[in-house]
Amino acid sequence: MSWITLDKIKKLQEQFDFVQINESDKGFHSVEVPKENFKQFVQFLKEDPDYRFKMFIDWTIVDHGQKADPRFQGVLILFSPEYKERIIVKTWATEETLPTLTDIWAGAKWAEREAWDMFGIKFEGHQNLVRMFMWETYPYHPLRKDFPLKGYEEVELPSLNEKERMDQLEGLQNYSRMHTALPTLEDLEITQKKRMPNKKSQVVLNWGPLHPGTHGTIWFLFDMEGEYVQECDIIIGQLHRGVEKLAENLNVQQIIPYTDRMDYIASMNENHSVCVAAEKLLGIHEKIPEKAKYIRTMLAELSRINSHLLWLGTYALDLGALTMFLYTFREREKIMDIFEGITGARFTINYFRVGGVYADLPYGALDAIEHFIKDFPTRLNDYETLLTRNRIWLRRNIDVGIITEEDVYSYGLTGAVARASGVPYDLRIIDKYDAYGEVEFDVPVGEKGDSYDRYLVRIEEMKQSARIVQQCIEKLRKMSKNDPFFFEPEDKKMKITIDGRGTKLFKGEVYAGADNPRGELGVYIFMPKDGIKPHRFRLRSGAFYNLQIFPKLMVGRPIADAITILSTIDPVVGETDR
Amino acid sequence: MGIKKVGLNRNVQPQTLTEKIFFLDFMKGLKTTIKHLFRKVITVDFPFELVEPAPRFRGVHGLRNVDGTEKEDFDAWVKKLKIKPPEMGETRCIACKFCQAACPVPEIFIIKAEKLDVPEDHPHHGLKVLSQFDMDLSKCMFCGLCTLACPTVCIIHTDVYDLSSYTRRGWVLNKETLSKIADDFIARRGKEKYDEKSHWPDWQKIWDEADTARAKAWDNNPPKLGPNYADQQ
Repeated sequence: MSWITLDKIKKLQEQFDFVQINESDKGFHSVEVPKENFKQFVQFLKEDPDYRFKMFIDWTIVDHGQKADPRFQGVLILFSPEYKERIIVKTWATEETLPTLTDIWAGAKWAEREAWDMFGIKFEGHQNLVRMFMWETYPYHPLRKDFPLKGYEEVELPSLNEKERMDQLEGLQNYSRMHTALPTLEDLEITQKKRMPNKKSQVVLNWGPLHPGTHGTIWFLFDMEGEYVQECDIIIGQLHRGVEKLAENLNVQQIIPYTDRMDYIASMNENHSVCVAAEKLLGIHEKIPEKAKYIRTMLAELSRINSHLLWLGTYALDLGALTMFLYTFREREKIMDIFEGITGARFTINYFRVGGVYADLPYGALDAIEHFIKDFPTRLNDYETLLTRNRIWLRRNIDVGIITEEDVYSYGLTGAVARASGVPYDLRIIDKYDAYGEVEFDVPVGEKGDSYDRYLVRIEEMKQSARIVQQCIEKLRKMSKNDPFFFEPEDKKMKITIDGRGTKLFKGEVYAGADNPRGELGVYIFMPKDGIKPHRFRLRSGAFYNLQIFPKLMVGRPIADAITILSTIDPVVGETDR
Repeated sequence: MGIKKVGLNRNVQPQTLTEKIFFLDFMKGLKTTIKHLFRKVITVDFPFELVEPAPRFRGVHGLRNVDGTEKEDFDAWVKKLKIKPPEMGETRCIACKFCQAACPVPEIFIIKAEKLDVPEDHPHHGLKVLSQFDMDLSKCMFCGLCTLACPTVCIIHTDVYDLSSYTRRGWVLNKETLSKIADDFIARRGKEKYDEKSHWPDWQKIWDEADTARAKAWDNNPPKLGPNYADQQ
């Protein structure tokens, strides 16, 4: 487990007398620092050669409820690429303010905007503290504990209730005419102006929110000088559904179907993150049955291939190669058929459970997967013949959107985007969750960090995934049909069920996750006491932080590069917005 | 486990001069596409040709009736919840509301059981029957948690996937509709999905091998299904 050791934290305490240690029996120790010393302390952590926590992972808030004083706590998660360990630094947000970290890590910019949007915490010194997901005139901060789950229903929307065409429904199954606040066109105009306060040109080019090239509902603003972009900003939140808020009112198995709808291209991997995190909090991750571990690893890798195929198809389509789109969808169809047979759904899968999987593999599942994996390298070869050394492809990709290693650490980039820049950051190797410690694979790493490297890294990742799947099949073949696929707790205090009724989480906090096709989906669960519902369920979205570097990459580039850069960063709006 | 470096000049060579002059990259690409030109069609002609969903497919819900294939503990559950012992063809639902408890969106369900109006000496005195079971499928995300929670394998997922309706009312299914859907499904494909005790058997196939439409989507070369594990038949 990649976590800072207690000795190392104790050394910190000797150096700084204000450091408080929260020990945890699961090994996830965190430190608490007063707000005045916070910035100095994290600066030290970043720069000291013994620690070197230079990679930004997450920066969020925990609301301890209305009665607590102080009420809000900032939680900063950092990673040290040299020592391969993580740390959580906490600080109390007295008077609902915190110092900004944007001058230390550029990635904190969106994290702080999100914290302001969701919790109403002001960050002193932030350049442009505007809302992240909601529109500018929205009056509430929805993730606060006193904000009701249903929201404040204050707008009348009669169209929701087609009385003339339906007979009366009773009770909860009827639709209320009242709806929560919706943005008007004026609100959107105010939002747009606030996002780009000092625009230079006369016309700001709007790209999206509904444009096929944006792969979802993202709204881009480009301040143009001729064909070149001077300044760029992104308005997201059109798909914001408040998954974190919903998760606070559900048990952990019930959260899994919601995560399906976040990164809907790789829903298997999203489920994986939640399972790994909850299992680590319960301390059972190592005890999960071998069969479940291998099934999960195998399907997660198939899902990665599935996701990368969609990425490749749409990316090539955006750059003008329609054939690729049809070819990759043919392979996707097969993977989705396999998923349908094993899990029951093609897209929103919900197969993994905290404690294993919900059912064993059906008859013939391994044969179908093997059949696909045998065929796959020839297909991949076809794709590469079409694209890799094509002159148009090379011209459109090489030296476009170069991300340096420094950017990766400062923006908290993960996944293929980080690896293409030469940072071998891969949770599968760092954390070795599930069966990843027992299978062999290489982590592809790029050199330059341009779009072409990101393309090559993802192609290589597909090959490596196929390799992992092959090893998992061989391992599973040797198992027995009577091996368990779900964890049975011996401890009477622990209750874990496949259907989720009564599944309990233990007191403590955990940050864990899985390496998804779109970067690290980390899950931070905070539990002040044992209970069914998580007190704070933070989803650290890889796509969200990866997208954050887009405005920086776009500055000085022609508008045509927007498609290349966006495609190779590969965000899925369901995950960025949550 | 290691690190594999990729990049131009590492695992990919830049274009050579010959390639540049004679457009060899385009030729190679065209070769691939022309090769595909002579392959068989892989698309399924949807409304006229249907792919049969897999046995585990999570489609529209159904409520199963008593048909002699209940689990061993069915009678115990009926007794525990004080439900009138169902006869053949009556619903298996015992109004335990486990499905609602497991559901992430519990307002989908309206489940009510009523006490039977019988005299005191009647054997069914004090027992209940299911009177209402409504599901609002417009709020459902077909996650399958309700079917896993059901102790009597009453609520199930069928293979019906077309749920379009002109009004929202059309998505609210009542007890009778749900029972009909389940009966129809069990008659069609019950043997594929459940064994005699309503469990998922280990011979449950990933999909039907004889499905020609699915074979088409697999490049007319579908996999031959065999056992997964060493000791499976």
